[in-house]
Amino acid sequence: MCDLFAVSAATNYSAPKALPLFASRASKNMDGWGIGYFRKARAVVERSAQRVYSPGQLHDSYQRLARVVNSKIIISHVRFRTSGPVDECHAHPFILNFCGSDWLFAHNGNAPAIENYRTHAEVVAGAASDSARAFEYLRDQMVSLWQGAATPSALFDFVCQGTGRMIEEYPGDYNYLLSNGLVIFAFTNHRQFMLLKGSRKLEAALLLTTLEEGLSDENWLRMAKASSGRGLMLAIAGTDVVVVRSL
Amino acid sequence: MCDILAVSAGYNYTPKEYLPLFAERGRRNMNGWGVGFFRDGQALVETSLEQVYTGYQVHESFQRLARVIDSRIIVAHVRCPLSGDHHRADSHLFTISFLDHSWVFAHVGMVEGIEQYRTPNDPRLETEVYSARILEYLRDQLICRCALNPYLSLSACLRSSVQELVSDYPGHYAFFLANESVIFAFCNFRQFLFLREAESMGEVLLVTTLEEGLSPNNWFALRPVEGSQGIMVVVAGPELLHVGDV
Repeated sequence: MCDLFAVSAATNYSAPKALPLFASRASKNMDGWGIGYFRKARAVVERSAQRVYSPGQLHDSYQRLARVVNSKIIISHVRFRTSGPVDECHAHPFILNFCGSDWLFAHNGNAPAIENYRTHAEVVAGAASDSARAFEYLRDQMVSLWQGAATPSALFDFVCQGTGRMIEEYPGDYNYLLSNGLVIFAFTNHRQFMLLKGSRKLEAALLLTTLEEGLSDENWLRMAKASSGRGLMLAIAGTDVVVVRSL
Repeated sequence: MCDILAVSAGYNYTPKEYLPLFAERGRRNMNGWGVGFFRDGQALVETSLEQVYTGYQVHESFQRLARVIDSRIIVAHVRCPLSGDHHRADSHLFTISFLDHSWVFAHVGMVEGIEQYRTPNDPRLETEVYSARILEYLRDQLICRCALNPYLSLSACLRSSVQELVSDYPGHYAFFLANESVIFAFCNFRQFLFLREAESMGEVLLVTTLEEGLSPNNWFALRPVEGSQGIMVVVAGPELLHVGDV
């Protein structure tokens, strides 16, 4: 199973401690890695199809990027392939531009049903996986809601509606992080997000990961969908979970 | 009636156009002004007891601030003479630190009885203006609720805090509570007008209580639904992130 990690802060931030720790704890994921961040309004991604961690050694580039990337929002993904080939194009995060912003998307889960989805808009270049189709589907839904709204409406509602439709139309296991550089939308319907704010051992920004033990022995908060719910959506801005909704 | 304006952008923004427009449109509010903004995560406030607009001129300092402030979030307040002593000595724009953030708070409206509120927490805002008590009340509630249930989102904590506030101290409230990343806007008696504008440095979202907005553009209104205790809006960058009844 792939794993996800995010840093969210009010000002530009680096994660030289947490990022390597995430990579080493997620080391069973051997099919590539990616780090996405924002430089001003532009989303930027560094990806690789190589293992993020070989016994005793973190991938050199990942380690260097962990020290250098500096952004309010950083999203990292380590891949365990369940859909699509192992190559750089299939490493997350992906980037698409819509609703006036660049967006980063990283996903873990298994949703073979959505592999058949075909968008009429721009595709995620070179990627033939459920994750790429899920991102395109969400983009199409959000753009449609955005353009159809009589007055500007709440972004959180668009993301929740789009996600609700996706899991209804294409049932599967979804765990994703979606960000426009200002807010991270985090959705899960099959695993958990572990959150920590104000770490004394790692970075003090808001840290989020899918790794169930977190990244340190501090009090990580576990957030997962209610057993009766279809999923859980969080909106994170700065160092806070600002809105939570059970779908 | 006092008026408030919030400007929210994805990246640092200098409000050289909209702040003077706000001062001009809010000129019937003759009893002073305040501007709040953020620098390196710290909330800062500049206030004045002078009129924001006299002799067809926007107050010189207000104009200069409009040209110099560079912040993702900017909050401005112009004061009215209608509510007597409540407004005489102090601005209704405050900064305070809690929950690991520096916050800016601006309020308009009339609330009876809340001047009696005594916070059990530090710091206590020195001013005797009742808006300061509202901020202290919200601060105390937010700290308590976030500690009691860490699974609650910030907006859920604020929503229940506002419910308690309006129940304990009924009145007319319209406020902005902002940290360096988000603005929470609540109103139970007026409307908020919103305008999303494309600027050279990216888009900005403007929110104001001024009835006619700041320009002839297509401002859209959000007002409390009848039967609700008010409307709460969360703004992040140039986006309306969340809108909900309280």
